[in-house]
This record gives sequence, structure tokens and C-alpha cells, in this order.
Amino acid sequence: MSKYLLNRLLIAIPTVIGVTILIFLAMRVIPGDPLQLIVSESDGIYVLSEDELQALRASLGLDKPLYIQYLNWIGQVISGDMGSSFWNKEPISGMILRRGPISAQIAIMAVLLSWLIGVPIGMLSAMWRNSMMDHLSRVGITVFIAVPSYWLGLLIILFTVLVFTWRPPITIIQLWEDPLGNLSMTVLPALALGLGLSAATARMARSAALEVLYEDYIRTARAKGLRESLVVWRHVFKNAMLPVVTTTGLALGGLLGGAVSVETAFAVPGLGKLLVQGMTERDWMMIQNLVLLYGLIYVFINLIVDLSYAFLDPRIRYES
Amino acid sequence: MARKLNSAPNVDNGARDVGRRSFLKLMAAGAAASALAACAPAGGAVDQGAAPAAPTAVPTPEAVATGAGMMRPGGNPKRGGILRTAFGVTMSHFDAHQGGGTHVLSHMYNNLVRNNLVDGLRTIIPDLAESWDVGEGGLSYTFHLREGVTYHDGEAFSAADVVATFNRILDPPEGIVSPLKANFTFVDSVEAVDDMTVRFNLNSPRPFFLNLLTPTNALIYSEKSLEENNYDMREVVAPGTGAFRFVEHLPAEKWVLERNPDYWDPELPYIDGIELLHVPAWSDRGTAVLTDQADMSWNVAKETWDEGMNRPDSVQVNKLANFGAYWVFINNREAPFDDPRVRKAIHLAVSKQNLAAAFGTQELINVTRWVPQGDPYATTPEALSTMPGYRADKDEDIATAHQLMADAGYGDGISGVELLAAAGPQGELLAPAFQDMLKRQLNIETDIRIVERALLGSEQSTGNYQLMVHTRGHAVSDISPRGNLWWHADGSQNFGAYSNAEFDALLAEIDVELDVDTRQGQIGEAQNLLDENPPEYLVGYTFHLPMWNNRVNGLALDQRAFAEWGRMETVWIDPDA
Repeated sequence: MSKYLLNRLLIAIPTVIGVTILIFLAMRVIPGDPLQLIVSESDGIYVLSEDELQALRASLGLDKPLYIQYLNWIGQVISGDMGSSFWNKEPISGMILRRGPISAQIAIMAVLLSWLIGVPIGMLSAMWRNSMMDHLSRVGITVFIAVPSYWLGLLIILFTVLVFTWRPPITIIQLWEDPLGNLSMTVLPALALGLGLSAATARMARSAALEVLYEDYIRTARAKGLRESLVVWRHVFKNAMLPVVTTTGLALGGLLGGAVSVETAFAVPGLGKLLVQGMTERDWMMIQNLVLLYGLIYVFINLIVDLSYAFLDPRIRYES
Repeated sequence: MARKLNSAPNVDNGARDVGRRSFLKLMAAGAAASALAACAPAGGAVDQGAAPAAPTAVPTPEAVATGAGMMRPGGNPKRGGILRTAFGVTMSHFDAHQGGGTHVLSHMYNNLVRNNLVDGLRTIIPDLAESWDVGEGGLSYTFHLREGVTYHDGEAFSAADVVATFNRILDPPEGIVSPLKANFTFVDSVEAVDDMTVRFNLNSPRPFFLNLLTPTNALIYSEKSLEENNYDMREVVAPGTGAFRFVEHLPAEKWVLERNPDYWDPELPYIDGIELLHVPAWSDRGTAVLTDQADMSWNVAKETWDEGMNRPDSVQVNKLANFGAYWVFINNREAPFDDPRVRKAIHLAVSKQNLAAAFGTQELINVTRWVPQGDPYATTPEALSTMPGYRADKDEDIATAHQLMADAGYGDGISGVELLAAAGPQGELLAPAFQDMLKRQLNIETDIRIVERALLGSEQSTGNYQLMVHTRGHAVSDISPRGNLWWHADGSQNFGAYSNAEFDALLAEIDVELDVDTRQGQIGEAQNLLDENPPEYLVGYTFHLPMWNNRVNGLALDQRAFAEWGRMETVWIDPDA
């Protein structure tokens, strides 16, 4: 197990380096000069002269060769410093620490919701295959997979504003500061995300359960007189969860970094919205560090998912 | 004969020559030039379907008041409470003179003079300058500064601060960008007469000079702060003299300001502080006010503004003229657009009303002439409704446009023209609508090239375009600073290489003209010249759609002459409303 873990960690290193190079170069090859934004905020468009542009580039360190800029950034990251906002010099780590819990909470709530809704529906659909309940659940699954969570979020906002004159708070309320206020901010985004994820989970759970239900060991379990509930719980459920864990694990990896569209729809000040802000302002340092964080989260979650297989399926062992 | 003005700012007994009086009159007109003077409709919200707000006429400005009490809101102001605002409050840096967001920063600072908050921004009143004198022929302005003003760090305010502030604007040190510099090219020097008196020496008079000192970015920094930061304030929220003090800035989340207990006006502010919430999306701003998560917003989405109209028991709305506009910039360097007849044909044939309708879901566009509504010299909507190029009925205009195209040798139309636009609503709505009308009315075929918005500026400055849909604005509505930047052959932002010697000569006269009626006529003539020989296509200036909770008082938001995202020290909150 430890050897496998070490191998996976070693493989992760070039992956993360690749991410850093890609995002670093991407920010510099896309057209447009972000320096124009620096003086166009409040008074319409003001176009910088070439001398002014050069002076600004120098003051921001952008006149240095690309590899120097890259190495400076990586050096900062390795030393544990995520650097500061490209423009206003605010420490990026501070912003991530403040907003990360909100995004993480929404992601975890969405995944929990998806399991609470998706797994039972998927299992029941499989158990009573081709029943009315199965047909209805499949229609529901198709609908919620097709509906973008962003659009669903907008509908929810519209409904709550017009009917209840209420919308989720637009400022950060941490769970430990005001649990109720925090939940009022995070529940609806989690619902918008969770419903779509529930559908995907239900579909995966259904197909996996169907596959398991026709395995020999299930027939054997039933033949030896085991109660159906025990058959389902001990044998079907546990074995059917392997692909569900994989898909939801990857979804969690994506969501932990902030669900950009849903956070934007609900105006939730999470990491996703911070990324949008960084893109709007062409805050290269912000974008670079956030994308790097997403890469790290993805690699970590993938690792956790892989390791979880051993616990879910005793046949899988990582030792040679 | 010159129009009689009601009064003038701090005139020193009228003991000087007639020319001086004449100048002072015009200066008073200039003082109202950032506002709509007495012509804008006061009162409640403007009906969405009504004619554009703020009809204008020759200005009849009120006196520019001096002394205490000019900034006292009506009603019975109550003290206490926190005002929560909803709009975008991020900024690249904190240097107001280099483009930092003054919709946030201005609360912490003062200007020399300012627009009056309690009369809907219709007059210019003293701020850090308690009064001022105008020198012979308008060639100098001497400001007598307010005594006893201190910065938030306890430093005393003095003339040295004004001198240091404006010297940085006029002659920025290396590495400092000064967008304001182009506004003050006629200022020779700024000097401290004594500790509390400062004089601006002009090389030629400018009737709108005081207007240039009113925008929220013309604020005063202390000499000490400037020196401590090597004249670069981008990374510091420097202490100001304003009604509110900095408390906290949570990036991309909110700014927290608190009441300055040592403010030079002991009556103000009434509230304990301001929370400027970061709400960049227009629809979120509207829903934030509708659901009472914010008390006000300067500009909300149209659909939420409509909803606000239906909820007078809780919120109020208004529609305000704004000095930013949508344009289709035309590169005058190359054929066929080097021919004024082609540009005029476009001006005549493309319906501004249709473009405004096409963009109506995004932002309200006002059919406007070159001088924006909100300026005393703007052409009235009534007059515009019958003018070629601006009227809704296009039949006659299109016929004239066809003749112009034929005369220019393009009777069969033009093909292969590139229309550059930013990704997003401009590229998705405005550009296709413009493209369609060019094709249908003039048989000009265009290919739309969509680029990222930040790219437009560099494409514009390098002349790498034929037609370009873009925005442009100026903090001051007067045609002089705008015209000299944008349309003068030597204008620093004349990126389309427009050249019109007749216009340039007339603009030079407008710059220094001291008689209101004469200037009125000249500006009308200048606009005629631009109609005849358009530098670019003006889609129209935009409206801003503020919405505020009924508890919010003291800002005369229902009476404002134009939109200004600025200071709010007269605001008070009525908890019982």
C-alpha cells in the first residue's frame, strides 16, 4: 500500500508541473493587454501610451523573461507562499482560506445530497426494474442530468426573490460564526448542484446495482436463504458503490475548487466566484494559483478515490 | 446679449471690469455644466416608457452657494445605522488619480469643489476650498482653503497638499500614469500663495474649469502620503480628509468604512458607516436591494429595476443620464471610411432607436447627440426627434444616405469590411444589429470579428480596425475636454485619425468663450459639423438605473441630474420607513 501511495505521489508531481506550465503560458498567450484595465476602471477607456505601458510592466515585474517570471512564481509556491494578487497585492492564500470553506461546504453538501437522493433512487430502480417507479425515476434522472445547474440556480433565485422577497446572503458567513446564516447561504447552491449530481449518481447506482444483481454470488446468497434486505445491503449495495464512489469522488474534486457557474448564479463568494473575478480583472497571479489549487485538489481526490477501492472491494489490493 | 445669470461664486464685489463679470457668469454656467441645471424633471421615478429623462435647454444655473448649510438634506435627518451598497467594488489598485475605483475611494476624501448632493448635483459647491476668486480674464483661480481640516492620520490639511496633488496630475513622475493630465493642459502652474491659499494659473480661460475639479477622481491627497509612497498610491489606501474612514477591505467581498468623528463638517455624516458590498452582476445588485440585503445600488439590471417599480412600498428607482456611451468607432485613415460622405451615410441610415431596442435587455441607451443628456448644452430630445440621423422615421435619411454613397462612388455598396466587437453582449447584440442595418440600408457587407474586451483598447490605439463597437466615456459632460481628447486632430485619444479643421477652430473658440449664449451657439454649430462630417457613429449615451430602499434619505436620488457613483455623506437612514 505504501509503495503504491508513493508511486501515485511521484506520478502526481509531473502532473502538477504540467498544470503550472500550461496555466502560466495560457495567461500570457491569450490576446489583450491586462494593463489597459488598470486605468480604465472608473472613467471609461483610457489607452496607455507605449511609455506608460513599459513603465507599468516594469513596476509589476512583467518586463522580465518568461522563465524568470515562471520560476519566481514556482519559488513562491514551493516556499508555501501563494503570492499576492497581481494588482492589489492582497495575499492570495488569505482569500483562499476565507472562501475555501464556503466552496468546500457547498461541494460536500451537494455530494451528500446526491448520495441521499441518488443512491436510494438508483438502488430502488434497479431492484424494481421496469416498474412504474423505475420509469419515473429514469425520466427524472434524464431531466436533471440535462438541466444545467446554473440554469436551475437562476430559477431558484427568481422564485425566492419574486415569491418570498428573499435571496441567499451575498456576503460570507462562516459556519462557525453563524450556522443558520451560513446554511441560508449554502443550502440553495448545494441543492442546485446536488440535484444534477443526484441524477448522475442515481444512474450510476442503478446500472451498477443491476450488474451486481445478476452476479452468481447474489444468486448464491438468495439460494442459501439470506433475507433480501441483507442481500441488498451486504452484497448488492457494497459492490455497486464502487463506480458511484469514483464518479462522485471526481465530482467532489471539481466542486471543492468552487462551482464557478453556480457560485456566480447565486452570487456566493466562494473560490469559483473568486476565479471569475480574477479572470475579469486579468489577475494572472490569482488565476494561476487558483488553477494550481484545483489541480492539486483533483490529484488528491483521485488518490483518495483509488485508495478507497481497497476498502470497498476486498479483492483489490495494492501490494504485489 | 449675454444671458443674465442668477449669481456667481464668491464674486469679489464686482469691482472689476465687464469682461470679468462676463466670465464669472459663464463660470457659473460652467458650474452647472456637470448637471442639468433647472431643466431636469424633479420628483419621482421616470417612467420607463417615457421620453428620455433630463430634457435640456440653455442653462440658468443657480448661484454657487458658499458658507455653512449647503449640504443639509431635507426632512429630519436621523443619526445612526450602516448603509449597505451593492455594486462592484474591486479595483486593481487604490490610486484614484491612476484609475483606482473612486466609487469606493471617494468616500474617504474631499475635492476642492464638488457637486452638491442635496440638490441633485445641480450646483458646484465648496469642499476643501471654502471659497474662491477668479482672476482677471479667468486666467487664475485662487482657492481659499478650509481651516481646521485634518487627515485621518491626524495630519493637518494645507495648500501644500493641493499643490502636491495637482503637480502629480499635471507632471506625473516616471512610472505614474495620469489620465487626468489631458483635462488640465491649459493649467500652467499650481502654487501655494500661503498655507491656506492655493492658486491655479491658466494659460487661457476655461469656463468649465470648476467642473474639471468635481469628478470623484479629482480628490486631494496629502503631500505627506504622496512623499511617503514615492508618489505612487496604488498599494495603499492613503488617509484622506473625507467623511468616512477606512476600516477593512475584504478583496472581492466588501469594504467597510466608519464615520469620521473629526470630519470638518460637524453635522455630517449622519450614519455610522458604509458597507460597500461587492456585487458585480447587475441582476444580483437588483435582487440584493429588493430583498433588503443592500440599501441601494447605483445601477441595477433592467428586469430588477422593473420589479422595483412595482414595489413602491419598499424601494424606489430612477433613470439617470450617464456620460458614458456606446459607439461604433470608424477608422478614418483608409478608404472607404476616409470619405466623410460614407461616414455621414452611416450616421443617417443606421437607426439609433433600433440599436437601443436591440440592446435594451442589457443596458438602456438614450438617443443622444454628441453632447450627452445631463449637460446644459445638450440638444433637447424634442429637437432631436426631428433631426436627420436621430429621428425615428428613416425614409428621408436613407434616401439622403443613398445619394451620399453614390456621390462617394459606392452606390453599389461596399463589401469586405471588418466590424470588430467585444465578446459578450456588444458582440452578440449590438454588432449584429449594426451589421444588419448596414447591409439592408446601404449594402455595406461586414464580417464581425469578436475579440476579448481588453483587446479592443490596444486594437484601437494601433488603428487595427475598420469599424469597432466599443464604449467610451468622460467624467465631465462639457464638449471642450471631450472634443479636445476625441475629435481634435491632435487629440490624444483621436484613435480614428479624424481631422476636421473647421471643427478644430471652432473648438478652440468654445474652449475659451465666456458668453453663455455665444457658447451655446458655438456648441450647436460644432455638433452640426460633427453631424455633417462624423468622426464615428454614436449609438447613444446610456442610462443608469439606481434603486434604493425607502429607508435611504438625503441623497436626492430621485432628483439627480445625472449619474455619479460618488460620495454619500449626507445620507441618513430612517429606520421607521
